[in-house]
Amino acid sequence: MARNNIYQEEEFPSPLMQLWFHFRQSPVVKIGFGCFLFLCFLAIFSSLISPYSPVENHLDSLLLPPAWDDNGDVSYLLGTDNLGRDMLSRLIHGTSLTFGLSFIVVLISLVIGVVIGSLSALTKGVKSSFLNHFLDVILSIPSLLLAIVIVAILGPGLNNTLWAIVMVLIPQFIHITRNAVAEEFNKDYVLASRLDGANSIRILHYSIFPNIIEKLISQATLAQSAAILDIATLGFLGLGAPIPMPEWGAMLANGIDLFYIAPWTVYLPGLAILFSVVAANLVGEGMRHALKARKES
Amino acid sequence: MLIFTLRRLNLFLFTMLILSILSFSLSFLFPGEQIINISGQINATPEGIELVALEYGKHESLITQYWIYLNQLFEGNWGVSMTSQLPIYGEILNHLPATIELTMTALFIAMVTGIPIGFIAAINHRKKADDFILSFAMIGYSIPIFWLGLLTILIFSIQLGWLPSAGQISLLYEIKQVTGIQFIDILLSDSPYKWQAFQNASSHIILPSCVVALAPATIFIRLARTSMLNVLDTHYIKAAMAKGLTFQQIIYRHAIRNALVNVIRDVGLQFANLVTLAMVTEVIFSWPGIGRWLIESIYQRDYTAIQGGLLALSCFIFLVHILTDFIYATLNPLARETHRGPQ
Repeated sequence: MARNNIYQEEEFPSPLMQLWFHFRQSPVVKIGFGCFLFLCFLAIFSSLISPYSPVENHLDSLLLPPAWDDNGDVSYLLGTDNLGRDMLSRLIHGTSLTFGLSFIVVLISLVIGVVIGSLSALTKGVKSSFLNHFLDVILSIPSLLLAIVIVAILGPGLNNTLWAIVMVLIPQFIHITRNAVAEEFNKDYVLASRLDGANSIRILHYSIFPNIIEKLISQATLAQSAAILDIATLGFLGLGAPIPMPEWGAMLANGIDLFYIAPWTVYLPGLAILFSVVAANLVGEGMRHALKARKES
Repeated sequence: MLIFTLRRLNLFLFTMLILSILSFSLSFLFPGEQIINISGQINATPEGIELVALEYGKHESLITQYWIYLNQLFEGNWGVSMTSQLPIYGEILNHLPATIELTMTALFIAMVTGIPIGFIAAINHRKKADDFILSFAMIGYSIPIFWLGLLTILIFSIQLGWLPSAGQISLLYEIKQVTGIQFIDILLSDSPYKWQAFQNASSHIILPSCVVALAPATIFIRLARTSMLNVLDTHYIKAAMAKGLTFQQIIYRHAIRNALVNVIRDVGLQFANLVTLAMVTEVIFSWPGIGRWLIESIYQRDYTAIQGGLLALSCFIFLVHILTDFIYATLNPLARETHRGPQ
């Protein structure tokens, strides 16, 4: 075989790069990833982009329909709600609350879950079996019910909801890290570095994490879609973000009373939630397919 | 089968132990006095509290307290609700059947629609139909349930006026509560308007159960599709093809049965998710179930009710979980006896 490479070393892309290579093959996933980046952009720069403040009242234009309606006004592109707040600005600010916070929530629970999971993969015997059963029990309780109980302990409010969702998401990360680490530990390359005299922490850091990080990322994107739905649901039930906050679920709950005269106050936040969850799911699905394709190649 | 049963029994006892410890520790974690949280005696005088404290063994060690709490649970003394001062046990018995009815109907709808669609997608693998079904499934489990509920109410009960939007049955019909499950009660009752009541109750359950069923149905589509694809890839299907069976014969005689078994294994896992959806749907459709009752008790800071509701609901989920495990084991010899084949 002809070699174009004049250097002797062969370059192997890291597992993460290989994942990226397989990931960008599918056009649908690319669109999903584009939407995901767009949402990230909105979440970070929300206060710069949005035309009005999310809590500013325009009392002369209450319940204005979106601009494409006959009664609409183009200066309020998506209409206004019952207090004359611009829907577009509220939706953009909502991105940083619902979408951006779900990102942070997943990140925190990922870190905690991975630490506990990899430590528990190193223990054996009764302790590990107890943890396993305990996790099974926790995972069998519905996530929303668990979140509601934690909110009941901490009291309602956005911060407490976020901690509740972090705690709800942790068990699944522990579970997946534990299984992935245990699986890698049985492989020969780990044995090789163990024979070189590496201790468990070193093996975890240098040999195992680079190989399981893709699994964790794929789980994290799927967890994010669940986190968005949970934040929005708790907001809708009035247990999460308080009503004046432009959190999508709370916005929707605020619009219910006006559903029949101003349906856009309910349609638009719902569509925003749907859009972001679909984007997160598409990225997660693409990641899963890329993982599978990489395993098979 | 005996070993299988013993292992499940072991798991069941362990889970109940953890759940009861969790529920017991909640009374310490909730704000306020532990003894008031656990008993719900919010209006009691200091002397009354002292009596309750004696009853729950407040002055003993923690383990004794837990033991007394367990005994109280088994005697049906779950404390009283902090807001209504009604016994929690009775309240749960009142509300749980409505939730069972809703979740079981939704589970049935989800399985009946989701599994065949998943099979169709697998048979048309990598064709237009498959892509269409997969994208439908993606939207189906991404849609926020409360939004879907509101949209269906707007379309089917307000604009089209086909179906009622709230409650379990019209108030015109007086049905005596025997089992709590509306349909059985109607059939048991001797009212002259039995059939009208039955029709009315079924028209009430259609919307909420369809809303609850959508997301689980899409998950069943994906599960059924994956399982069917795996089955179609096996050697015995190739052998059947080599024998000269037509494609339909292969699907009906061999593939569906074997693919169905694997889907049934995951039904139990999906059930927790389904109950979560049902809790939100109950709020939207004013369904008198335990989910709505629980969420209302949160608004009212009724800690005794939350504690009892959590215990009851998770026990119910776990029972369904174990039940599906048993059904799976009965259907699939591979699951209960390892010597029948490779695991």
